[in-house]
Amino acid sequence: MSNKIAYILVFILILTIGCGDSASDGRKLTKHPGYEYMPDMYRSPSYETYSENPLFPNNSTARQPVKGTIPRGFVPFEYDNTLDEYLQAGENLINPLKNNLSNIEEGEALYVMFCAHCHGKNGDGKGSIQHPLYGAVPSYLDDVLLRRSGTTMKELSDGHMYHAITYGFNAMGGHASQISPEERWQIIMYVNELQKENN
Amino acid sequence: MSTPLSSFRFIFLFFLSIAFSIFCSAQDAIVGESLFKTNCSSCHYLGPEEKKLIGPGLDSEIFEEHTEEWLYKWIRNSAELIESGDKVANELYEEYNKAVMTAFPHFSDEDISNILAYIKEGPSEVVVDSSESVGVNSSDESSTLLYIILIIIIFNISLLVYVKNTLKTAAGIQKESLLQSSLAWVQLNPSVIVFGAILIVFSGMKGCWNTLSTVGVAQNYQPEQPIAFSHKIHAGDNGIDCNYCHHTARSSKHAGIPSANVCMNCHTYINEGTITGKDEINKIYAAVGFDPNTRTYIPDYEEQPIEWVRIHNLPDLAYFDHSQHVNVAGVECQTCHGPIEEMEEVYQYSKLTMGWCINCHRETEIDTENPYYHDLHKNWIDKYHGEEVTVDMIGGMECAKCHY
Repeated sequence: MSNKIAYILVFILILTIGCGDSASDGRKLTKHPGYEYMPDMYRSPSYETYSENPLFPNNSTARQPVKGTIPRGFVPFEYDNTLDEYLQAGENLINPLKNNLSNIEEGEALYVMFCAHCHGKNGDGKGSIQHPLYGAVPSYLDDVLLRRSGTTMKELSDGHMYHAITYGFNAMGGHASQISPEERWQIIMYVNELQKENN
Repeated sequence: MSTPLSSFRFIFLFFLSIAFSIFCSAQDAIVGESLFKTNCSSCHYLGPEEKKLIGPGLDSEIFEEHTEEWLYKWIRNSAELIESGDKVANELYEEYNKAVMTAFPHFSDEDISNILAYIKEGPSEVVVDSSESVGVNSSDESSTLLYIILIIIIFNISLLVYVKNTLKTAAGIQKESLLQSSLAWVQLNPSVIVFGAILIVFSGMKGCWNTLSTVGVAQNYQPEQPIAFSHKIHAGDNGIDCNYCHHTARSSKHAGIPSANVCMNCHTYINEGTITGKDEINKIYAAVGFDPNTRTYIPDYEEQPIEWVRIHNLPDLAYFDHSQHVNVAGVECQTCHGPIEEMEEVYQYSKLTMGWCINCHRETEIDTENPYYHDLHKNWIDKYHGEEVTVDMIGGMECAKCHY
């Protein structure tokens, strides 16, 4: 009898030891990355995109393009970052993309990623950023005339927007490094929809 | 008869008028606040002049520098004032690189006086919520409590043993050490040795297994970063999409460490953090050579990369592409990276082992709606007779998908 009980006890003990670890839910965060066995292939011998690089003075593998060169397929933007050229861009630039549903949908997805936190999901200027500086973003349905563009936000032209996305405008930074030219036009196409809505 | 009552009436009216004027001015400032926030705060801070945004910071000092009449004119249409040849207006125009302030011709006199009242009063005191920092050490506290209880128990046991031994000596019974008595007990019950041996062997095996399975797995790794950047503040509280900063995740193998110009999109103007103040944001400025006081980049500055510490590292033998997962499969960032929007400091959420990859490939159904793969998807749906098609069925478990 006592033997049986002892065997059951041992069995339960082994079970608890075996399952104890996997049942724990709490994470023990550590400043130590852990141990590696023969880490030859864990760390690339070639320099990766973000790895340190002793060959260059600033220790960074990522290099800037050689001066005077442009990437393949890159089309330079003809307008400079001045108020005059902003106004010119507003007059002259035309959205080169076809106005179709897939472009607008793509534009909406991009708008949510890159614009909505300041300009609001509906373009009402009420984004999720809490800082007071970005608490007064104008709505796309704004009627206030006398903006620098000379138009209301409702009638803001595609070229104005393209210039503003590329170089920034007032408290908005330039987004040229994050958003490709084609994506900028898709976003503008969606903003056009926002300008139209509820009219 | 008239004197006492009239004086009483006078005093009453006097206090009433004071109360009313206080009420009015408070009301003005409140209306002014909402007007200021919707019309002015995207270009002006409420503070000393040096705190420049697009235009200068505004506080009660402007009333010393300018007459109220001038302020009304300037706010209504500054361009007109400049053209009229006003000296002060032209100086300001030159000082701010000929940036014209938006005109507000639709403002009534009352609107402007409300705004000015708000500027005069200054910002209402911000109540700092310090409750968040409390409770961080709660887990430490509970473990110290456990230690204290343990010490008390040990003390009590040793006290009892001491009392027992003293009683035994007093009664003249021969003392037996704990080791001797337990050995004697084991001799009577030899099966204990077997149980003990099994226990030690199994716990040893389990311990070895656990330790070995963490080799090369950096789960829960949370290194200290050069800048105390909080994902909780940016992605959580302020709701910035992950793709805003990690914009290459959609198009590249790497999700991308945002270059400092992305930080500067907002931090050109936001120079102070809510928790860390200026220290951490100044590190970005030091890297890119930006002077937050003049809001200009220092010419010919030798820029330095910010040396973030890598957390997630896949061995060189495995190929992983973010764009395939983010763009094509539509996997949420949180599926692999966990609740990033709640992390003050980022840690590695997933194991990133091969078993972990394969499990997900076995369980995840593919998006058959993707028009790019329409013909292929049609074949698979026919082949699997409408069963759900998971990633492993379309070659997601081929060795050469990741190892080549």
